[in-house]
Amino acid sequence: MPKLFAVIRHEFKLAAANKTFVVLTILGPFLILAITVLPGLLSMNPKTLSGGTPIAVSGGDAAGLAALEAVAANAGRSLVVMSVDADDARSAAKAKVLDESYAALILLPADWIDAGVTLYTKTGTDAFLYGAVREALGSVARSARAAQSGIDPELARTLVQGVDLSVRKVGGGAVEEEHAESNFETTLFTAMAFVMLIYMTTILYGQLIGRSVVQEKTSKTVEIMLSSLSARELMFGKILGLGIAGLLQYAVWTGMAMLLSKLVLPALGLAAPHAVSAANLGWLVLFFVLAFFLYASGYAAIGAAAEDEHHLGQLAWPLLIFLIIPLVMISSFVMNPGSGLSVALSLFPMTSPIVMLIRILVSPPPLWQIALALSLLAGTIYAMVAFAARIFRVGMLMTGKRATFKEILKWARVR
Amino acid sequence: MLKVEKVVKTYETVHAVDGLSFEARPGEIFGLIGPNGAGKSTTIRMIMNVIAPDSGSISFDEKPFSEAMKARIGYLPEERGLYKKAKVEEMLLYLAELKGLSRAEARMQAAPLLERFKLSDWRGHKIEDLSKGMAQKLQFIGSIIHDPDLVLFDEPFSGLDPVSQDLLLEAVLELKARGKTVLFSTHVMEHAERLCDRLLLVCKGRELFSGSVAEIKARHGSNSVQIEFDGDAGFVAGLPGVESVRAYPRWIEVGLKAGASADELLAALVGRLRIKRFELMTPSLHSIFVRLVNDAGAGVDRDGGVPVASSKEH
Repeated sequence: MPKLFAVIRHEFKLAAANKTFVVLTILGPFLILAITVLPGLLSMNPKTLSGGTPIAVSGGDAAGLAALEAVAANAGRSLVVMSVDADDARSAAKAKVLDESYAALILLPADWIDAGVTLYTKTGTDAFLYGAVREALGSVARSARAAQSGIDPELARTLVQGVDLSVRKVGGGAVEEEHAESNFETTLFTAMAFVMLIYMTTILYGQLIGRSVVQEKTSKTVEIMLSSLSARELMFGKILGLGIAGLLQYAVWTGMAMLLSKLVLPALGLAAPHAVSAANLGWLVLFFVLAFFLYASGYAAIGAAAEDEHHLGQLAWPLLIFLIIPLVMISSFVMNPGSGLSVALSLFPMTSPIVMLIRILVSPPPLWQIALALSLLAGTIYAMVAFAARIFRVGMLMTGKRATFKEILKWARVR
Repeated sequence: MLKVEKVVKTYETVHAVDGLSFEARPGEIFGLIGPNGAGKSTTIRMIMNVIAPDSGSISFDEKPFSEAMKARIGYLPEERGLYKKAKVEEMLLYLAELKGLSRAEARMQAAPLLERFKLSDWRGHKIEDLSKGMAQKLQFIGSIIHDPDLVLFDEPFSGLDPVSQDLLLEAVLELKARGKTVLFSTHVMEHAERLCDRLLLVCKGRELFSGSVAEIKARHGSNSVQIEFDGDAGFVAGLPGVESVRAYPRWIEVGLKAGASADELLAALVGRLRIKRFELMTPSLHSIFVRLVNDAGAGVDRDGGVPVASSKEH
């Protein structure tokens, strides 16, 4: 036991007491913020992208032009009215769209309400402009058609109006929870965020641990280590030592995120998604830690079998597959948390941390299923470490040739 | 302390170790010598329980290997390495802790050893900053820092400069003086000759000779005399008792037949040559080693390879 403690301390120090770790721990959240939030902010505000070049329009009537005027003003642009009926004028205008003198060219024929409108842009993907033009002209067209049919436009609007549908989730003890937004979307996004968190961490730290184990072999420390302690002690020590370093980093990040949501979100008038409750955060931490150690021990086993770091990457694909399955099926789990597949994958240890977490977020499964998933996970982690130690013990002297999965399984059976 | 009995290890068709037996006792330096690929490292790894023998037994004070034994053994493997990113003193303390020392004890042991091996100035540096020789000294310290009863050194001197080699030699002799059991392997006979009380000469996994250095010389030493002189020595080859004459620029080396005495030779020379020097040569362990190994037909081959053809002979 003191030996295990010494390994944990040593590995923790090696991982955490260097500048890269400290810098990454402090700057990590800002990097994540920069990667995730900034593109969203930028796309929501298109004028920041292409500084207010005018929108050109040709033809049209007063009502249509007024509507487009409003759209352009909204996007911080001016509206240039011109005639491009002549072919060369039209090509000239298109060329100006291409060289970004105009943000767009809109062809509005005299009978545009029936004949339709054409919108030329450089990229064809300016969803914001497309939506705004469509909405503005649509509204004009609807009013015009209603007037033509002798219906009061105001009446027409009332006639096509939908119905308010409020979704309520039935909680325990007949407590009703009401949510203004669609429950599906917020839960999906919350689940997505949690899953990405688990996914990124396990890959990042799993590889770190795998590399650390491979390095025992490539740096030839393995014989010295094993002359002092057992392979199992070394494996547990490595996984726990590096694991604690990783968890420390995440604790710092989570703390900063909490601070952010407490201080910054209210200031912006935003609320945290409802699914991020204290209980859910507790489950997240629990499954996160277990998933972390499961994949850490998986990578340790692969590291023990790998010849060098390159080989480690080649051997890691089975672990990645188990990580990707829940990721691609996430919406089906959110919509159908009680389906046979969801239940099965929420119990199967390689996928249970993610799938069970989603089920808990959506609608709490029976307690026995959670308990079963947890104990299967814990058992698998222990078995995986023992397996890694076994492979390490046998594989450490097998340098010079790359083992296949078949050979690795054979090693595990060697006494 | 350490008893190895009839251990065998076979890799596919190659007999890496083929029935070796020996015993290393407290207060004794035991040398495992032989050409590259003779099975020395394999034997030491089997002692360290890194690999399991196919048959035979290895015991420590009559007991089989156990995890608890690891604290009493110091091991310097042939394949050496340390964590490159770790600092020198940290690494040493870590190795000591893994042998069961407390951090305070480890610190107390480490300081004088670092001083002795001239590494004190480097204690705060990372291991990747050390030269290869320094890293090797550090590793040597790591193998004795917990004051083990049995130490196993696999080629401890390879890659060290003469000054460092002497530091290591001294430390090994001191271990012996303190009643520790020392087992080391080498293919450099000068080291074996200077250090070993007893030795086992291994070739192709088999024992060629086992006993003390004096014994091996008595049994396998050839009888030869070096003579420096003025005059014509052409007649020497014809003298009774002379087996061979080898001429060097300033002297000749005369090999005597078994049973022939150097005194008779000297008597036969007096008056016919002006003798400046007449010296009885004890053969070096080196020359015995080369002869025995060549007689065994193995040759001294490249690193790591036991000749595959040898397996046919068994």
